[in-house]
Amino acid sequence: MMADGYTGKILRVDLTSEKITTDNLNREWAKQFLGGKGLGARYLFEELKPGVDAMSPDNILSIWTGPAAGTMVPLTSRFVVVTKSPLTGTFLDSYAGGFLAPEIKYSGFDGIIIKGKAKKPVYLWITDSKAELRDAKNLWGKDTYKTEELVRKEVGHKYARVASIGPAGEKLGLISSVTADLTRNAGRGGTGAVFGSKNLKAVAAKGTMGVEVDNMDEFVKMAKEMILKDVVENPDHAGMITDGTPIIVDMSQNAALLPTKNWSSGEWEGSAGINSDALKSRVLVRKKACFDCAIACGSWSKVKKGLFKGATTEGPEYETLGMCGSNCGIKNIEAVVKFAEDCDRLGLDTISSGNVTGLAIDLYERGVLTKKDTGGLELKWGNEEAYGKMPAMIANRQHIGAVLADGAKRAAKKIGKGAEKLVVESKGLEYPAYDPRGTIGMALAYATSDRGACHMRAWPVAADAYGSGDPWSPEGKAAICVEDQTRTSVKWSFIFCDFYSVNFANMAKYYTAVTGAKSSEEHMREIGKRIWNLTRAFNVREGFARNDDNLPERMEKDPLSSGKTKGKSVPRVDFERMLEEYYKLWGWDAQGRPTKKALEEAGLKDIVPKLSYLK
Amino acid sequence: MSKGLKADLAKCTGCQLCALVCSGTHVGKFNPSESRISVEDVFPEPGEFKLSYCTHCDEHPCVESCPVEAIKLNEGLGTYYVDKEACTGCGACVEACPYNGCWMDPSGAYAIKCDLCEGNPQCVEVCPKGVLKR
Ligand code: SF4
Ligand code: SF4
Repeated sequence: MMADGYTGKILRVDLTSEKITTDNLNREWAKQFLGGKGLGARYLFEELKPGVDAMSPDNILSIWTGPAAGTMVPLTSRFVVVTKSPLTGTFLDSYAGGFLAPEIKYSGFDGIIIKGKAKKPVYLWITDSKAELRDAKNLWGKDTYKTEELVRKEVGHKYARVASIGPAGEKLGLISSVTADLTRNAGRGGTGAVFGSKNLKAVAAKGTMGVEVDNMDEFVKMAKEMILKDVVENPDHAGMITDGTPIIVDMSQNAALLPTKNWSSGEWEGSAGINSDALKSRVLVRKKACFDCAIACGSWSKVKKGLFKGATTEGPEYETLGMCGSNCGIKNIEAVVKFAEDCDRLGLDTISSGNVTGLAIDLYERGVLTKKDTGGLELKWGNEEAYGKMPAMIANRQHIGAVLADGAKRAAKKIGKGAEKLVVESKGLEYPAYDPRGTIGMALAYATSDRGACHMRAWPVAADAYGSGDPWSPEGKAAICVEDQTRTSVKWSFIFCDFYSVNFANMAKYYTAVTGAKSSEEHMREIGKRIWNLTRAFNVREGFARNDDNLPERMEKDPLSSGKTKGKSVPRVDFERMLEEYYKLWGWDAQGRPTKKALEEAGLKDIVPKLSYLK
Repeated sequence: MSKGLKADLAKCTGCQLCALVCSGTHVGKFNPSESRISVEDVFPEPGEFKLSYCTHCDEHPCVESCPVEAIKLNEGLGTYYVDKEACTGCGACVEACPYNGCWMDPSGAYAIKCDLCEGNPQCVEVCPKGVLKR
């Protein structure tokens, strides 16, 4: 075993034939793509036939760690689920923290590639170089909390770490997630449905083999200093340490871009009931970290009284407070805690679930949906009791939940009667909680994100609406997106947490400390560019083109209704200008396709023959 | 007074950095299973963290329980450590300790417990939340 952070092994599982094998890690690719997102994308590009149905046995489901997972490089204990998304049809990478990634590494694997479909429900149990498929008959139908408990009992390890799907994934809901360590979700894009389509209930791991790095003494010295200086004392992290993501509720409210009542306003009169102060004073029990994290942004919360007494969750996080709080017209954090717990237990993505619930309430208020659709619920703004029943209705596909389970775009199409015009998505993935009408760069960030509308690839809102820049000027937004997408491509390959504001130079430093190989800021940038070109090429191969880098009609034609952003929208001309600039900066053609030259410069010469548009 | 680490558990966030640095410096690998401090997260109920480590208690029944006298005095620190070479892996000390302070290495070949890193406990230095004190 080389002492370079990698275990050097990939676990391959064929669910159809129930064959499990161990493969050597492609070391060349590890050098070129690092791990996590990059490595997952490279394997998927190579092994997935273009155009396959994401819900068919032909889709490939893979789980990856990064070279630093399990080491003392802070905030790197994340895993990523890489697959083709059944919700968007794009490349999909969904991340979760918690404690599973180090256990996969300590078991001796850098990644897991799962193909085919099991005849009956199974789960995958991995420990110390070994893996087996086990009968999941008793787990099927159980929520993720119960599943974790039962799996741990069955495998006989109190601290086996489990990622599982709940009823939402079993019933193939396209907004279902994979939930690990109770509350950590590889949430977006329908990861849960891919598990479900393969009859795979869970992946569990416990390893005792450890991870080695290049030079332990030097490494510990470096890590101790970085944890103190670059994490604990880094001013960028102050809010994350004291409050965590809920601190963003007030920032968004002040900038009037907090999604409210199904994207009708950027200001929410009830924001004081769902912000960080509300969380801290009303539900917070204690702070909680993922493995290897010196920030500990997580808030373990519990509802003390009222309708939802006893409900617990980690968070709710900003995205949940925005999409399931203000966007659903909810004024009390207690209700959001309950909604979040149900989403975790049932295996639902809170961003998508908040979007479809807000949409359903809006449609009910407009008379498009009636009690017949809601199973008798008076689904009005502010009816917390009805709202609290929505996750179960969606996960179990009851009543209107049957269509909401597949995301806002598909649901609106089935409902009709103008519902389509109310939906806010890109490539079928619902927008997260930063309304571009209050920060137009986010429209570009969402449109060009490789997995559909996502805030974790580029985040121009930081420099304008939350900073000092002009949120309505298209100027410079393309450059911010290109820079952010390059950096996050590296971050998601290590896999660093979003909340570590780590720069290229420090990523290079960590890379050298883990692997012993030389690196530099430029080296890290090259890797980031390579990965972003690769996922773009993947999507082009799947048939995506400029039209799919879309601006939802509402963003253009339906201005916001109050406060600073009253009357604001995203002008089409500005959007097109940003998009054109963006393609140019990447060196792509007018259709947004990576050119041969761009691919070659990014070190992707070997994929050129696999792209028919370049022939 | 016991000479071991003190912990303010209310501040612990369960990050396991203590266990990481402990295994890194003791066995040259990052591997919480080989750490001399163990962190448990008990969620959803009761929603708390537990730390286990040798408290270097005054009675040290582990020392007396060892049939081969493998738990030896570090004269400088005045505390006891497991001499890995002498330990036969019988597990008597694990049974004897009332504080869940020592346990078997995952190989099962010998017992492991906190040795206070020659007086400079690495976990105390690393803990980002100031939980651990010497
Ligand atoms: S191992 Fe247990 S019995 Fe022995 S000194 Fe430590 S705390 Fe006391
Ligand atoms: S390093 Fe500190 S906060 Fe983290 S688990 Fe150990 S004692 Fe708790």
